[in-house]
Amino acid sequence: MSDLASLTNSVPKQQRIARPERPERRQARAGMVLFAPALVLLILILIVPVGVAALLSFTDYTLGRPSIDWVGLRNYIDIFTGSSYRKMIVATVLYVALVVPASVFLGLGAALLIRSLNVGQSFYKTVYFLPVMASLLAMAIVWEFALHPTLGIVNRTLAMGCGTPLELWSWFARSCIDGFPLWLGDRDYALYTLAFIGIWQSFGFNMVLYLAGLTSVPNDLYGAASMDGVKRGWERFRLITWPMLGPTTVFVVTITMIRSFQVFDTVEALTHGGPAKSTYVMIYAIYEKGIAQNLVGLGAAITILFLAFVMLISVAQRRFVERKVHYQ
Amino acid sequence: MTYRFSTRQTLAHGLLILGAIIVLLPFYVMISTSFKSPAEIATGTGGVFGSQALFPDPTCLALGGNETECLVRPVRDNYSQAFTAAPLWRYLLNGVIVTASIFVLQTLIAVPAAYALAKLKFWGRDAAFALVLFCLLIPVHAIALPLYLMLAKLGLTNSYAALILPWIVSAFGIFLMRQFFMTVPDDLIDAARMDGMGEFAIIWRVMLPTAIPALLAFAIFSVVAHWNDYFWPRIVITGDRSLFTPPLGLREFKGDLGGDVYGPMMASATIIAVPLVVAFLLAQRRFIDGITLSGMK
Amino acid sequence: MKTLLPLSTALIATMATTQAHAVDIEVGYAYSATFDLTFEQIMQEFAKSHPDITVTFRATYENYEDATNTVLREAVANTLPDVSFQALNRQALLVERGIAKPLDAYIAAEPDFETDGYHKAMLDLSTFGGHIYGLPFSVSTPISFYNRDILNAAGVDTLPATWDEVIAACQLIKAKTDKEPLYWEWNISGNWLLQAAMWSQGVPMIKDGKLNMDNPEGLKALETAKAIFRDCGMKNVIGGDAAKSLAAGDLGMFFSSTAYVGFVDRSKVGDWEFVTAPYPGIDGAPQALPAGGNSAMLTSTSQDPEVLEAAWQFIKFTTSGAGAAAVALTTGYVPPNKVANELLMEDFYAKNPNKLTAVNQLPLLSEWFAYPGDNGLAVTQVIEDYLEAIFVGDATDMEELRDEMVEEVNALLPR
Repeated sequence: MSDLASLTNSVPKQQRIARPERPERRQARAGMVLFAPALVLLILILIVPVGVAALLSFTDYTLGRPSIDWVGLRNYIDIFTGSSYRKMIVATVLYVALVVPASVFLGLGAALLIRSLNVGQSFYKTVYFLPVMASLLAMAIVWEFALHPTLGIVNRTLAMGCGTPLELWSWFARSCIDGFPLWLGDRDYALYTLAFIGIWQSFGFNMVLYLAGLTSVPNDLYGAASMDGVKRGWERFRLITWPMLGPTTVFVVTITMIRSFQVFDTVEALTHGGPAKSTYVMIYAIYEKGIAQNLVGLGAAITILFLAFVMLISVAQRRFVERKVHYQ
Repeated sequence: MTYRFSTRQTLAHGLLILGAIIVLLPFYVMISTSFKSPAEIATGTGGVFGSQALFPDPTCLALGGNETECLVRPVRDNYSQAFTAAPLWRYLLNGVIVTASIFVLQTLIAVPAAYALAKLKFWGRDAAFALVLFCLLIPVHAIALPLYLMLAKLGLTNSYAALILPWIVSAFGIFLMRQFFMTVPDDLIDAARMDGMGEFAIIWRVMLPTAIPALLAFAIFSVVAHWNDYFWPRIVITGDRSLFTPPLGLREFKGDLGGDVYGPMMASATIIAVPLVVAFLLAQRRFIDGITLSGMK
Repeated sequence: MKTLLPLSTALIATMATTQAHAVDIEVGYAYSATFDLTFEQIMQEFAKSHPDITVTFRATYENYEDATNTVLREAVANTLPDVSFQALNRQALLVERGIAKPLDAYIAAEPDFETDGYHKAMLDLSTFGGHIYGLPFSVSTPISFYNRDILNAAGVDTLPATWDEVIAACQLIKAKTDKEPLYWEWNISGNWLLQAAMWSQGVPMIKDGKLNMDNPEGLKALETAKAIFRDCGMKNVIGGDAAKSLAAGDLGMFFSSTAYVGFVDRSKVGDWEFVTAPYPGIDGAPQALPAGGNSAMLTSTSQDPEVLEAAWQFIKFTTSGAGAAAVALTTGYVPPNKVANELLMEDFYAKNPNKLTAVNQLPLLSEWFAYPGDNGLAVTQVIEDYLEAIFVGDATDMEELRDEMVEEVNALLPR
């Protein structure tokens, strides 16, 4: 490429000293160089282990065994024909379906409410963000204690409502006689209880993200809208705030969804996948099979299925959402 | 300025306070329990801060002391056990070393990568971004064993390296910073290039200063996640207590057959949570200022 | 659990009096809350008699499964400790993988091994393929825990000796008091109490590498489980919580490992009368019971004979004499060592009759099975799941359940 060609090919806005190389070329090279370390590390630390897991999923490897045998698709077949694995998918999907909408909308609601306050914004922001910061292990243990069937503060507070008009609610009346639910120990309630803890733990983060997003909604838009006769409140929210929060919402939903699929700490600390496999989420199954029961090959197979599953859902979600989101 | 207490405001406060009570419930239980004696914990009595009646310490009794020698005040006993039964100071220090190293290394690697993805056109850029998104989906639990095996072959288990290295590339960090960098106007960058700045210099002298709020958000996310990480350190640190991170210190009080030793455990949990809360309060100001400023742009 | 301070003092004292070469060994054990105190006491004595050996304790294992998994990981990374305390039913796996080393040579070199209190029944627990791979350190048997006050209030005068009597007592407690009648820790490590139900009838749960429940005893065991769960309205809480309820005086009868005795003694609230009694049998007294607990194994990869010798001295010390007695003094476990128990008999057990129950059941000690093969732990979970199905009421036909369970388990066991 001659200098003349490079001069005519570049798009200068102003007079520019001829460079020996096209700016795009230089930028492209810089781009690759700058991304290279991340690329190498991503591959080494994340992709290679996934590859190893994929390989192991076709074997019967267990820790400590000197030999390792290829078993083909046997692990995968075991997964699809076992009943506990069906419960695994149900538990995971149900958990995500419970946590994501609630966490996102509570985060949004909290952000809107806090923004509307004249006083005390900082206080509420800190309070609502605290669960995000506390150690999940410690909090899980505390929740376990609070939800204890007899010693826990939750049931003891509920029991105080016995003998009051609350008994008009039939569930409450029954519980006063039979005893309040065991929450984490009860097959019907365990997953909902875990979902509650998950929402409790995550909505503060979403609130912070929404607060940041709300600040970036230009005020002139509101001014213009009110001149057009848009009333305050719901109308304003629906026509301006919500669409402008599009990108933030995409981000919040994506992150919340990913993290809910990856729920593990609370399950391991509180329910161990039970009772009756009602909280047997996929990541817990991976841990139980691959590490606790030392069936590394099987655990690896569940891992691959998990990744495929989550990728599918992410792609579907992006397709669905990208169409509807308004980017500036 | 006069504050007018409209019904809107009262309603908003009412809802928020209700929410705050639910949100703060476990913290209340945690702090309150850290003040109580085992008997009070088992029966759920003692009010908010425990009655602080002296009680005989069972360990002391078992080692041969008599009742009067072994009387301790619950709150002092819980908190002092938190620091002596497990070397909590050491664990807190480890927490600082590990999270700080991780965050610094993550920034050094993620920011240039994010800039490249956001502002520089190069061959394979879209594929690179898709790779980053894919990596976001990979949870550590899925790759823990292969990673452990790799580290074991290198002889790096039970070391700071094992605690730090797997985390230095953060797909989330790259994603977050890239989204943010995309909102920075190109003119800013072109002007810098015009001034003869190389791409590398542009990152650190032009992009980063504008990205402080995003970086802070990432810092909060990263520090909190790794300060509280329990799963990975448990897998990779076997045996060497001096490398324990704070959550592993908590685990020392997780009882077994008899149930947990709640008093010192809640005291530890409180101590572990404090640095994060303080750091957040300090960072929060900057964070808010940063966002407000960028919002008014 | 003031482990570190006294331990480090002991260590410093040890180092101060040490001669030219001090030997270092590393030890790992499980259940910190239960055994920290035990090892503190042991170290106080050990430092006196072996000043040239420095013992460093690794981070404790959370439970027996964690103990094995950690050691397996360490084997891969070649960072094994010198001595590791492993559950009795997890020994076989470590032997199979070559991680535990045989102790025969060391035992043969000992002059007074038998008279030190090691008897054959005890050593059998750790013998595999004719070689001894560990020395049992702390042993537990299933026992019954009773709140005498609640029993009296319900009109139950004699302590139940069979499960039928337990169910009857349970009905009385439910009718006449407002306390929880009973808790049976069905999911304690390794289906231990289901193995107890089989051993009570004189039948081992594993035979020739297969699940041995395809017989009337297997059916009876499951039916007994069903009666305990369903006829009594047992609450589905975890063992630790039930123990807390017991300690708080809210539970009438509790059936689990003797290891809980220490906990109940420490956390007892209120003035109720706490007694332990032999584990109930099925149609009569139990013919045998599975041994719970753990043993000391030599897992050292060191080539240095001094290190190995030091590790052996530690293993020997903790399982005999005053070292072993510490187990009974500080926990609800019992040392299986005859001499250690006799040391304590006059004084200690007289003052702590609740801990004597397990000692009296020592003659019934039988193998605690681990399911063989790679799927061993998965099998434990499968059996647990079936028991849970009985518990929540999903399964009512015990014979059908038994057949399904045997088929599924045997499919997972090595052919």
